[in-house]
Amino acid sequence: MSLEEPRDQGTDAVATKPTTGDEIADLLGDLVVSREEHVNAPGFVIRPDTVQETLSRLRDEAGFDHLSCVTAEEYEDRYESIYHLTSYDDRTREASVVVPAAKDDPRSQSADAVFRTADWHEREAYDLVGIDYEEHPDLKRILLPDTWQGHPMSLDYDQDRPQVVTLKEWENPLADDHRENEGDTMYLNIGPHHPATHGVLHVKTVLDGEQVADVEPDIGYLHRCEEQMCQTKTYRHQIMPYPDRWDYASSGLLNEWAYARAAEDLNDIEVPEYAQIIRTMGAELCRIASHMLAVGTFALDVYGDFTAIFMYAMRDREIVQNILEDLTGQRMMFNYFRLGGVVWDLPEPRDEFFEKIRDFLDDLPGTLEEYHDLISSNEILQVRTIDTGVLPPEVAKSYGATGPVARASGIDYDLRRDDPYGYYDELDWDVVVEDGCDNYSRLLCRMREVEESAKIIQQCVDLLEDWPEDERTIQSNVPRTLRPEDDTEIYRAVEAAKGELGIYIRADGTDKPGRFKIRSPCFSNLQTLAEMSQGEYIPDMIASLGSLDIVLGEVDR
Amino acid sequence: MTAPLQSDTVLLPERIANLLGLSGVLGDVVGGLLGAFLIANLLLVQTAVAGPWAKRKITAAFTDRIAVNRIGPFGLLIIVADAVRLLSKELVVPEHVDRPAWDLGPIVIPFSALLGFAVIPMGSGIHLADPETGLAFAFAAASIASLGLVMMGYASNNKYSLLGGLRAIAANLAYEIPLIITAASVVIFTGSLQMSEIVAAQTEPLLTVAGVTIPQWFAFVNPFAFVLFVVANLAEVGRNPFDIPEAPTEIVAGYQTEYSSVLFVLIYLGEFIHIFLGGAIAATLFLGGPAGPGPESLGFIWFVAKIWAFYFFTQWMRSAIPRLRVDQFLDVGWKGMLVLSFANLVLTAIIVGVIA
Repeated sequence: MSLEEPRDQGTDAVATKPTTGDEIADLLGDLVVSREEHVNAPGFVIRPDTVQETLSRLRDEAGFDHLSCVTAEEYEDRYESIYHLTSYDDRTREASVVVPAAKDDPRSQSADAVFRTADWHEREAYDLVGIDYEEHPDLKRILLPDTWQGHPMSLDYDQDRPQVVTLKEWENPLADDHRENEGDTMYLNIGPHHPATHGVLHVKTVLDGEQVADVEPDIGYLHRCEEQMCQTKTYRHQIMPYPDRWDYASSGLLNEWAYARAAEDLNDIEVPEYAQIIRTMGAELCRIASHMLAVGTFALDVYGDFTAIFMYAMRDREIVQNILEDLTGQRMMFNYFRLGGVVWDLPEPRDEFFEKIRDFLDDLPGTLEEYHDLISSNEILQVRTIDTGVLPPEVAKSYGATGPVARASGIDYDLRRDDPYGYYDELDWDVVVEDGCDNYSRLLCRMREVEESAKIIQQCVDLLEDWPEDERTIQSNVPRTLRPEDDTEIYRAVEAAKGELGIYIRADGTDKPGRFKIRSPCFSNLQTLAEMSQGEYIPDMIASLGSLDIVLGEVDR
Repeated sequence: MTAPLQSDTVLLPERIANLLGLSGVLGDVVGGLLGAFLIANLLLVQTAVAGPWAKRKITAAFTDRIAVNRIGPFGLLIIVADAVRLLSKELVVPEHVDRPAWDLGPIVIPFSALLGFAVIPMGSGIHLADPETGLAFAFAAASIASLGLVMMGYASNNKYSLLGGLRAIAANLAYEIPLIITAASVVIFTGSLQMSEIVAAQTEPLLTVAGVTIPQWFAFVNPFAFVLFVVANLAEVGRNPFDIPEAPTEIVAGYQTEYSSVLFVLIYLGEFIHIFLGGAIAATLFLGGPAGPGPESLGFIWFVAKIWAFYFFTQWMRSAIPRLRVDQFLDVGWKGMLVLSFANLVLTAIIVGVIA
């Protein structure tokens, strides 16, 4: 897939493929029970036993090949799952498939047969909300421990009741015990505390000699109820500090933007142009910092112990971190965005600040050259990473992979261009796509994206420097209390460092969200690990895990 | 019995015996024990410097850091602090480990490496024994370490340890053969396995360029063999790009996963002495042993400089070179190194046969 072609196809497709609500409703015909209108997309209510039919028709005939997110919620009278669909070719085409389920016995057909990514999303919905997905390959808890009692986001959940029982109490004493069985394979627990899992990830691995026969990532060790916490805070100020804590490895501003974008579109808030430029600049600085860390830790996974490349990457990330500290007053937990703008203007003296950024950008090509010398042109690293951890584009799409993981599999998909927000569409930059589908491509993709981010920052600095002093509006007028209309629903995403970071908000007429759902790019990307490492050696599995660049804080939320 | 000590040069035990005025069996025993004690201490002191201090400083230099600099001059007293720290840690013995194999493994490793030093001529008269089979003895002693690795891998009752142990054996099998075959090509030149003979054979001048005499070190005579030997040696001591048996990001710490406190120190001690032993054998075979400019009494200084150069080389590799995958690692060993080392052996034999 070349860089240009899919875009042309995309524009062709818009002409022929159903895009408006009516066109899609015509396509679905009798499947649609009733219609809804979400802020971002038309919604189609369908019966819970027609999920697969509806989704496969939308995928095959309408080109909705990207199941971005699955949101589940319990209402007073029903349960509801929403499948947020969009297209890799044209991100602006969106559709929400709403699947209600009975209150007393919430059952709904699983979408796993159509989109592999539904596997984990539905497990999460089962875990937290309690909807039973029929035909799901392995419906069990995902974020909470198996021994958890009840579904914490259901309405009748009692927090005062004991929440966890012992394993002994939970275990089925009649279940088959395979521990004494003879077998040729070895079961190995990698993590939750292991030098290469990038946090508290538990990878259940079945080994055949040194080769990986089966892999199952077990997540949830860092689950901090981020969604529920956001549901107990007010839109205006209280939610903004939380996004910094999702992907805490220096992509704070990117996360904040995800919430800001969803909440601003929900409340019809305009952001001044000047603030948009500052946002764009800050976000790209965060992306550089995040990619530096990704490259450094990936090298660490492949190289072995403490190595030069890791320290070099940390050294350069530190410079970005200092710039961000000057801008926001914080090193990691920025809390810099506000609905309608940013919290304060660039630091004084401005010249010094710009100078600092320009110095960094001037040094960056040399730095990247150094990285290429050390890693990407090293023959041993190439032997290790080329053609390992292969993720074909079709598989990547089915798993909902986004960000550098998708772009390194030749999928030309970047929300900054495909669903423009901020100031990106005014600037001159390119989407980086690599066709290798392997660990090496993912590494190269990140390194090249750093260059593109630098281009964006350069242009932002030029614009900010010449901005007239009396037009520096950093925030628009936003009411002190925001109360979006009851039952308005929105799903909005931004291109975070790891991929598509989406936020779904349902307003319930109060100043707090009725349902706040985070679509984490790492969550979907991590799902591809099993696909990538089947039949490979342990070291390649570790390298693939490193190349996915997951942050467990965002996977588990 | 003076059979193992048949050499013209006066060996260390004899000197000590003469110094103490002892003779006969008593002189051999006391001289031998004191000599061994001296050599072991020389090595342990070097290991102490190499482990807690030099390793950190070298890695830090490669990665733009400063490393230990708070305690004592250049942070040197960290050695004392670390010794106290490591020895005072709790020794955790996991359940269901297979004792006493579990306890013996870490003891086997440093002692096998120390044993190898018995036949190494270190210059300045520090040479414990000089049997005719010196080189074979050095390799045999060093190989005992593999036994320790198996013991630790199997006895730990830990899957990571098992994987590490298996990898260590695979590594030793694949690289010990090229290592010894390459060493054999040197023996073809010298016609003797005796260490003192090998060193003596390298004292002749090779050629003189602009007044500088280049000695007949085998590294200069056959650089190809030297490179092969150093690469195989890297695999033997398990350092990048061949640190497969430990591979911290893959199998945690391999065979040493379950060890703490004193046993952990012993393993590390063993690894460092092994690096020094690898350097010592390389220096003896290819770099003229303790030879160097200046009077012969400076030999020990030159010898230490050479084994430290090898140590520095392993640390350099560790900071800069990625690790191979286990199958690639074995491919390099069996399909590359083995073939090359045999080619080297045959070629050397032909050339020596034609010239001699």
